[in-house]
Amino acid sequence: MAEEVLGDLDERFYHRTSNQSTRRAKLDYWMQVFNYLRPFALRNFIPKHLLPNLMLKHNLTLTFRNFGRHKSTFLINLIGLSTSLVCAMMIYLWVNDEVSVDKYHQHADRFYQIMEWKELSAGVFVTGSTPGILAETMADEYAEVEYAAVATPASWYSGVTLFVGDKGVKTSGKYVGKDFFEIFTYPILLGNKEHLLDQKHHIVVSESVAKNLFGDAQSAIGKTIEYQREKEFTVSGVFEDIPRNSSEQFDFVLSSEEFKDVNPNAFKWENSGPMTFLLLKEGVDIEAFKAKIAPMLKGKTTEDHRQLIARRYVDAYLYGGYVNGVQSGGRIDYVQFFSLIGILILIIAAINFTNLSTARASRRVKEIGVKKVVGANRRALVFQYLSESIILTFMAAILALLIVWLLLPQFNQITDKQLILHLDTNILVALLLMILSTGVVAGGYPAFYLSGLNPIKVFKSNLFSGRTNFKELFTRKGLVVFQFTLSITLIVAVAVVYKQLEFVQNRDIGYDREHVIHFPREGRTMENLDVFLQELGKVPGVKAATSMGQSMVGGGNTTDMDWKGKDPNSRVHLAIRPVNFGAVEMLGIKIKEGRSFSQDYSLDSASVIFNQTAIDIMGLEDPIGETVGRGEFQFKIIGIMEDFHFQSLQSEVGPLFFCLAPQYTERVVVKLESNATRETIARLEKFYSDYNPGFVFDYTFMDEEYDRLYAAENRVASLGKYFAGVAILISCLGLFGLAAFTAERRVKEIGIRKILGASYFRIIGLLTRDFTGMVLIAILVALPLSYWITSSWLSDFAYKITLEWWFFAGAGVTALLVASLTVGFQTARAAAANPVDCLKDE
Amino acid sequence: MKETRLGEFEEVILLLVGILAEDAYAFKIAEEFESQTKRAVSIGAVHSALNRLGEKGFLTSEMKEGTAERGGRRKRIYTITASGQRALSEARDFRMALWNQYPAFSTDNLNFNI
Repeated sequence: MAEEVLGDLDERFYHRTSNQSTRRAKLDYWMQVFNYLRPFALRNFIPKHLLPNLMLKHNLTLTFRNFGRHKSTFLINLIGLSTSLVCAMMIYLWVNDEVSVDKYHQHADRFYQIMEWKELSAGVFVTGSTPGILAETMADEYAEVEYAAVATPASWYSGVTLFVGDKGVKTSGKYVGKDFFEIFTYPILLGNKEHLLDQKHHIVVSESVAKNLFGDAQSAIGKTIEYQREKEFTVSGVFEDIPRNSSEQFDFVLSSEEFKDVNPNAFKWENSGPMTFLLLKEGVDIEAFKAKIAPMLKGKTTEDHRQLIARRYVDAYLYGGYVNGVQSGGRIDYVQFFSLIGILILIIAAINFTNLSTARASRRVKEIGVKKVVGANRRALVFQYLSESIILTFMAAILALLIVWLLLPQFNQITDKQLILHLDTNILVALLLMILSTGVVAGGYPAFYLSGLNPIKVFKSNLFSGRTNFKELFTRKGLVVFQFTLSITLIVAVAVVYKQLEFVQNRDIGYDREHVIHFPREGRTMENLDVFLQELGKVPGVKAATSMGQSMVGGGNTTDMDWKGKDPNSRVHLAIRPVNFGAVEMLGIKIKEGRSFSQDYSLDSASVIFNQTAIDIMGLEDPIGETVGRGEFQFKIIGIMEDFHFQSLQSEVGPLFFCLAPQYTERVVVKLESNATRETIARLEKFYSDYNPGFVFDYTFMDEEYDRLYAAENRVASLGKYFAGVAILISCLGLFGLAAFTAERRVKEIGIRKILGASYFRIIGLLTRDFTGMVLIAILVALPLSYWITSSWLSDFAYKITLEWWFFAGAGVTALLVASLTVGFQTARAAAANPVDCLKDE
Repeated sequence: MKETRLGEFEEVILLLVGILAEDAYAFKIAEEFESQTKRAVSIGAVHSALNRLGEKGFLTSEMKEGTAERGGRRKRIYTITASGQRALSEARDFRMALWNQYPAFSTDNLNFNI
């Protein structure tokens, strides 16, 4: 309350005490106070303490003067904060993009994907592959279903060429049920949404394909498109290009009725093929519906190991992982991991600010004392220091925005995204939150610490003469330890990820994938494959040419295989790879027993080669010559291959067999001479465009394809590398600042020590000891922590490196080295100073 | 424009400020009010009225040195302004005009208890 009011109240109180009891006087006092709760009194109360404009201007001036006076501290803080904000912003952009994937469909809350849950001998296996007939059957049998549609994954028909006359474009497409666009609400630009796929010969294309082939979307309607020079379709509609944040990217869709002709097997209940999507009616109890559909397949087939499960489509992208039939992880792991890293890096930078400001506190302690004596209250001081840190963060944020804008192309390359720095409200709000929270976290401790100092103590005691109190020292050291713990953990983690990836990519996986390319069979190569392969073999630089089912890393599976002595309850998922003659030899797969396919034997079309794992699982004693299969498909085992990794090393080698079926092979595989690969490919391009006019020679290197299996891990590694670098950089900046400060404060002590005969190295040792200790503690904390984190990451891999002691030792030594270099630079300068210079004044 | 009418309570307070002159601060005014009118009043009410009068431009105030009795805190001393004087005399004239119009004017049975 205002001074005069307090005075009046006191005066009345003492007046009363002289002629009344003290209790009555006190009571009266409070009555008077309550009587003062009037608008005028309260109104006076608020603005008096803020003095908004004046204080703000005063604070700003002080802030900038402080920046100017302590340039190194200012720069350290600015660099630290802006670097960390760059990381945080990039992570925010990435996370934002990941989270937005597949979220834009209109009825997301009742949009479900139906998946199969299969109980196999090796455990439960969850897959999006379902019988093609499932969607329409569910629409018929369940009243809860509003729309149902089957859809093939875009990856099945990628690299398809669509022609109009001579003009062709490489595209990928899907076969979908007629209600596909009711469920996936991609905007339809042209055509009647209800009748897009009424006819088998209908095709709906994306806007860019339409423009590419016909010049503009409008004129595409009703025109004919040739599919791979095999079939003709009529354009019945045009949809808007699929947005980038869709997990499925495709350029055209065809009718599922057409797909029934192309692949009738996919529509049998026994088989699993395309995916099934449902749009449920509003108000359907999903749990009851799930329970209802679970046993549906049992009624359709004689098998009982397959169940149906439903999951919301919006969850499919982030929560795609299943471990033994239970949802667990997926991309969300990376989203959480990187969000955590972003926050940690911000914290590291905030710690620098806190540390440097408390360290500098002794310098500003007089300023605070004077201010308090003159009448500043605590709130004003807190406000001043917080505004100082927020202003600094704000400057850092502007710098960071600039850097993000410059680095975004590189970042996009690493993350395989097309992020743009689009300053809409969301981003601005996020940015503002980031600035405010970082500013408050960074400035909070010094603000409350400094404003709480007692002015009398400030002037009387020697707070500013050298020794600081234990609590302050402890906090400061604790923060440095925390910083370095994080940095070291990150270094270890990145090193382990790198080593593991190196191990995976260089491991002898059992087949030779160097200098091998493959490309789709299309156009003229569909017929006369043998002739084509022969011609191909004649191209200079080509060692051999053959064909295979799909690529080695992706392909079909079957459980329909019986053999002698098979346990009737066992269900084994066998990978099938149809191959042509010469494939086994080209890939250098070792035959352990028996022989490979050979043109010398006329009956080889009914022969198979198993890998060792498959034979072990089947438990056949004398496998060569045995007959396996089911129903009309009976095969003779002619050979056994040594195991090779046809999948990611995250899983163990599964059972697999090769069958000789050139008619089912979809990819042409070519082994090139190891020298002059580029020239050979140029020649192949020429050869291909002559042989198969209009088609683009779209090849894939087998080793690159193999590396792509680890795309997510590679991304983590390369991003992690930068983040670890940033973390250690910021930590060192902080240490640098602290070391500089300590050296400066102890300059007289050093001078006196030197005069008394301390050697140069002794002084360096004296100054470095503190910091070395902190980093050592950090190492002690970080090593078990990083061991735990890395070993849990590695446990995802079936084949992995062992964690060597020197990963940890290396990270520790690196941190120690970098820290001592940082500190050493400062201390060496302090130790080398001439004692006269530092002792002459005072 | 701000309201410049003078309420009854305000009029009394304004007069007391004039009477107390150099000693016119909230506590003293409240004391004086109580002793003159025999009505209890809180300092808050007096202060609020003083504040209102200040806003109406009838009073000015300045801080004066305090006494030990009030913990060395300063006092806010109020002074009537010219417009305050005018408002007082207008109020009196208005009252007198009313009295003059009152036909049964008699000082004997006047019961002045508002």
